[in-house]
Amino acid sequence: MARSDVQFDVDISLDPDPVIEVYKKDVDRTLIRENLKLTPDDRLRKLAAFVAFLEELRNAPRHKP
Amino acid sequence: MTPDFAALLRALAAGGVECILVGAVAAAVHGAARATYDVDVLYARTPQNIARLVATLAPLRPYLRGAPSGLPFRWDVDTLSRGLNFTLTTTAGDLDLLGELTYGGTHDALLADTEIVCVFGIECRCLSLERLIQVKRAAGRVKDLEAIAELEAIAEERRRDTIA
Repeated sequence: MARSDVQFDVDISLDPDPVIEVYKKDVDRTLIRENLKLTPDDRLRKLAAFVAFLEELRNAPRHKP
Repeated sequence: MTPDFAALLRALAAGGVECILVGAVAAAVHGAARATYDVDVLYARTPQNIARLVATLAPLRPYLRGAPSGLPFRWDVDTLSRGLNFTLTTTAGDLDLLGELTYGGTHDALLADTEIVCVFGIECRCLSLERLIQVKRAAGRVKDLEAIAELEAIAEERRRDTIA
């Protein structure tokens, strides 16, 4: 069987995982709720704009005041 | 460089490449707020699709991400056929081409767990939220724990909206 024909048949539970539940407490649901009001297209455009902003910050000239 | 998600996705769509959006961009499609710099796609490993992928990405000059410049890396059907997963840089940003997902399977195996989304004026296949959570859980990477928590929170918020 070719590698690309390998099928996986692993049933991964979606039951609550105690470790993930701990991480979930720190999720900012206000951001999620705002994103869920948007269309998928708007969400990706927002992501692209944010990443561009991060890149601009990263490349911004720095100097001491 | 600033990734151009639109250029990458439009190129794949225009080239007729059979692929599924997975990873952080798929998470963003579902509502995740985490930033990412690369696009991850699961591609079909048929000879026809590999040929389409090679032709489609060639103008974007794909190269092995993190590798020293000047390596005799050839972007062609042979290279893609002999490998499986490729982490690439392109002129439109970083792109991860995955032939299969850990415990997730191949493009064809996951097709039933995808949804069509319209982004940047084109239609893309995106892995469903539930399946995305499953494959990330299955991968078992510590670095994914925060992302999984966010995806599960999204699923809960969606259910809450549905009930309300």
